[in-house]
Amino acid sequence: MKDYDMRQELVQLGNGAHALATQILGNVDDAADAVHDAFEKTLRKPAAYDASKGPLKPWFLHVVRNRCIDLIRRRRRPGVVDVEELSDPRAGPDSSLEIAQRDHELQLALTKLSTEKRQIVVLRDYMDLSYAEIADVLEIARGTVMSRLHRARLLLKEELTRNG
Amino acid sequence: MVNETRLVDQHVGELLSGFVDGELTQQERQRIKLHCEQCDECRQNLAELRALRDRIGTARLSDVGEDKWRETMNDMTVQTSRGIGWLLFIAGILAVTGVGLYQFIVEPGMPTWMKLILVAIYGGLAVLLFSVLRQRLIERKTDKYKDVEI
Repeated sequence: MKDYDMRQELVQLGNGAHALATQILGNVDDAADAVHDAFEKTLRKPAAYDASKGPLKPWFLHVVRNRCIDLIRRRRRPGVVDVEELSDPRAGPDSSLEIAQRDHELQLALTKLSTEKRQIVVLRDYMDLSYAEIADVLEIARGTVMSRLHRARLLLKEELTRNG
Repeated sequence: MVNETRLVDQHVGELLSGFVDGELTQQERQRIKLHCEQCDECRQNLAELRALRDRIGTARLSDVGEDKWRETMNDMTVQTSRGIGWLLFIAGILAVTGVGLYQFIVEPGMPTWMKLILVAIYGGLAVLLFSVLRQRLIERKTDKYKDVEI
C-alpha cells in the first residue's frame, strides 16, 4: 500500500478508532493519545501491515486496542467512561439538538455496559466490522462474537428503554 | 413438535443478531425467517435490533473530525524531519568541536598555561550554556500552562 493511500485511509479511520479507544480508556484525551500513538507506529513501520491478509481497518483497530491496553496497564486502573467527558448534547454545529441529545443518551447507555461489551458494539455497529474481523481485533473465537454481541445489544436496548 | 419449537426458542436469541448482521448461513437465515413469521416477540426483537444498529451506526461517538487527524499526522511528519535536522546539526557541531579541540591540544606554538586558561573560559561558557538549556527544557516539559493562549 502506498504511503499516501495509507495516510488517507488512516485519517478516515481516526474517528472510529477514537470512539473505540474512548470506550476502552473512558477518557477522550487518553483515547486521542492512543490513536496518535497508533498512527505513529503504523506510519513508522508501514510494512508491518500486510494487505494480502485483509483490510487496513481491522488491523489498525487492533493496533489501537493494543495501545489502549498498554496505557491501562501503565496507569493500573480500568477504563471507566467518565460521564462528564461525553460530548455535550448542545455541541456540534452541524447536528440538530435532537440528534445530539439522542447521541448523548446512547453514549450514557454505553457507559452502563462492560468494556468488553462496549468494544464489540462499537466494532460491529459503529465501525461495521464483520464477525471474523471483530474476532481478530478482540482476539476471541469467531463463535464467541455473535453471543457476546447479542448480549451487549440486549443490555444496551434495555438501558436505552429505561432512560428513554 | 413442542420440543422442536422449544429448541428453536432456545437458540433463536443470538441468531437474531447474526441475522441482522448478515452473518448466518442460508439454512440458519431460513430458520430465523420461519420462526419470526410465527413468533411476535422475536419479530419485535428483530425490529428493535435493526433500529438499534442503525442508531449506533449513524451516531456521532467521536467529535474529533478528519481535519484534526490529518493535522496530527502532518505534525508527526514535521516532528520526524525536525528530529533528523537536529540530529545532523548536533553531529556536525560535535565533529567541528572535536577537530578544533584536537588541533588546539596539539598546537605547538602556545604554552600549556595559556591552553589551560582558554579551556577554563570556553569550558565554563559551555557548562553555563548547557545549564540554561537544560533548565529551559525542564520548564517546557513541566509547564502546565504552556498551551494557554493569552
